[in-house]
Amino acid sequence: MECYSLKQSDVPALIDHLGAYGEVIAPHRKGDVSYSFEPVKDSEKVVLEYNRTLLPLKKCFLPPTEKLMDFSLKDMSYKPTEVPIKPAVYFGIHSYEMQSILRLDHSMLSGKAESNYFNRRKKSRFIGVSFSPDEYHFSESVGISIEEMEGFDLYLNKVSDDYQLYIISDKGKDLLKGFDKLIQAEPIHVEGREFNKKIRYHYNRLPRVFQYAYHSKVWAEVAERCVGCGSCNLTCPTCFCFDVNDQVEVTAEDGMRRRSWDSCMLSTFAEVAGGENFREHTLNRTRHRLYRKFKYITDEEGLPWCVGCGRCTAFCPADISMVDIINDLIREDEKAQFHKTVRV
Amino acid sequence: MKRLQEVKSNEALDLYYPTMCEIVDAKQLTDLEKWYELKLPGGQDLGHEPGQFVEVSAFGIGEAPISISSSPSKEGSFELCIRQVGTLTKVLKRYEKGDTLGIRGPFGKGYPIEKMYGKDILIVAGGIGLVPLRSLINFVLDNRQEFGRLIILYGAKNPSELLFTDELDVWQRRDDVELHVTVDQGDPSWEGNTGVITTLIPELDLNLNKTIAAITGPPIMYKFVVMSLKSKQLPDSHIYLSLERRMKCGVGKCGHCQINGVYCCQEGPVFNYVDIKPLEEAL
Ligand SMILES: Cc1cc2nc3c(=O)[nH]c(=O)nc-3n(C[C@H](O)[C@H](O)[C@H](O)COP(=O)(O)OP(=O)(O)OC[C@H]3O[C@@H](n4cnc5c(N)ncnc54)[C@H](O)[C@@H]3O)c2cc1C
Ligand code: SF4
Ligand code: SF4
Ligand code: FES
Repeated sequence: MECYSLKQSDVPALIDHLGAYGEVIAPHRKGDVSYSFEPVKDSEKVVLEYNRTLLPLKKCFLPPTEKLMDFSLKDMSYKPTEVPIKPAVYFGIHSYEMQSILRLDHSMLSGKAESNYFNRRKKSRFIGVSFSPDEYHFSESVGISIEEMEGFDLYLNKVSDDYQLYIISDKGKDLLKGFDKLIQAEPIHVEGREFNKKIRYHYNRLPRVFQYAYHSKVWAEVAERCVGCGSCNLTCPTCFCFDVNDQVEVTAEDGMRRRSWDSCMLSTFAEVAGGENFREHTLNRTRHRLYRKFKYITDEEGLPWCVGCGRCTAFCPADISMVDIINDLIREDEKAQFHKTVRV
Repeated sequence: MKRLQEVKSNEALDLYYPTMCEIVDAKQLTDLEKWYELKLPGGQDLGHEPGQFVEVSAFGIGEAPISISSSPSKEGSFELCIRQVGTLTKVLKRYEKGDTLGIRGPFGKGYPIEKMYGKDILIVAGGIGLVPLRSLINFVLDNRQEFGRLIILYGAKNPSELLFTDELDVWQRRDDVELHVTVDQGDPSWEGNTGVITTLIPELDLNLNKTIAAITGPPIMYKFVVMSLKSKQLPDSHIYLSLERRMKCGVGKCGHCQINGVYCCQEGPVFNYVDIKPLEEAL
């Protein structure tokens, strides 16, 4: 893999250079403690050292709300919303975020492939950046190291005060054409970026734990504390469920159909006519959320559907921690195994 | 895992745009249910299987999953029957002949017709469950010689809620249809069976190897019907059920219809009992 060194002070020049390909979207400071992926207007404002954005990068491909069509009630006709295929560069992306996009690709493109998502995704380029795990990141526990480069076109690894830039794909190489601030370098292995939060088992062993965890008492303990706000779904980079709603203008003649992110933690998510609710209690919904991340899709695809970004935990008003739930399930499982062995 | 690179541009589909269909006939069947006959542009066939559904679109309100009630053997138009229970379905009550409705679909998996040829078909319909099963019933009647016995058990809350009463009369008179109707609560003029639908099952004389059961009804009905059929020794694999879930997209994307890890709009709504038995959220 080609490796170059890039001075910290030359990063804005790189961002400006990438602007020739298309709009550049990168992390920016938002308020005092938060970050957000935003289109770059001034490359000096891009922040490459950040822990996590509130909303995941998913928002660029599956927007929080998107118009599907305009309709007219007068003649019962509609006009579809065209989603243009536009080149764009996503700059300063963490490895777990990139992995979440690869998982979203599967969710939106397998079976019937959706054109809205496909068009937004078609000409996207990704430039990764390393990060220092905080108290919430646990991506290593789900098999995603800081330097996991799959999916990226270029990758920036922070080495002391500057960066090493890796060219991962031909598309990445093309993006750099004409950029002259790079100096060939030997890859340096960066030490000391440890994860503070860890799942006790290798992720390979989690499907087994989940196989026996369905009736665990851990769910009730978590449900007891959960306030059912749905933030964990709305900040999760791999959650993709949505709702579809119509809005009519005050004239009552025109309107639009929109789809918006939805949350399986909200009580009406699985309710049907007649008042039947197939996941009536917080317990059912909490369990469903975790099974979606570690069992259902995982059984089919062999990968955890949680990428360990830590958002659901960092932004939960009830301090419910993904890693703690899983470690509790593991502990329960070990206890059950122990009792089984002792009895025999 | 499916990769972006594997998807060709022409494989990416506009999944959410309805086709506008003309209502060519409509009739209020009961206080709550209305029947519609719809025509696709150019009178094309919908190309559905019995048991499949469409997403019905009324602009300004939204969409709802609705079963296709007519048999695929009916050409040039298709039928729906909608119970008015909420915002959208109540608005649909105002839709009449000449109005247009948006349709997406057909979606989901219907009944495995190939496996049913030559078999005795036992229909168990509770309430509005007759709507999707009517598609299967009429398919069997249109291909009568391809099937064995046709036994129909139909239960409603009371006589005024019975759907498709004209057709019930026809089925009653045919000697190649065994129709048993019951109501939970009769009225003074009711002369038929009273009691829940499961009370009809013990008396049935079934050829167990040859019988395939198709069950649709309100969620609480399934457990009891399955229990009664099992106590008659009908093998699990001979039982098909159509499960209702909240559905927004119908195309395996929105996540609303999941039964544990299974997408009801994709793998269902018609399931073989063997396949849903291990799913804790199914029944
Ligand atoms: C596969 C399938 C086939 C169906 N076939 C028929 C049929 O042939 N005839 C018929 O009358 N009904 C049918 N239904 C039920 C019908 O979809 C709901 O009654 C309808 O969606 C309610 O919409 P609403 O706007 O009138 O109700 P709302 O005002 O939205 O709500 C009323 C109730 O309906 C529930 N509901 C809302 N949206 C949905 C949804 N998308 N899916 C399921 N429940 C929902 C709500 O939770 C609430 O309890 C079917 C449902 C499914 C899943
Ligand atoms: S963010 Fe926390 S409190 Fe809110 S629904 Fe999720 S787990 Fe429950
Ligand atoms: S489940 Fe939580 S930690 Fe995992 S990807 Fe979603 S938000 Fe991140
Ligand atoms: S209805 Fe949307 S996924 Fe099944």
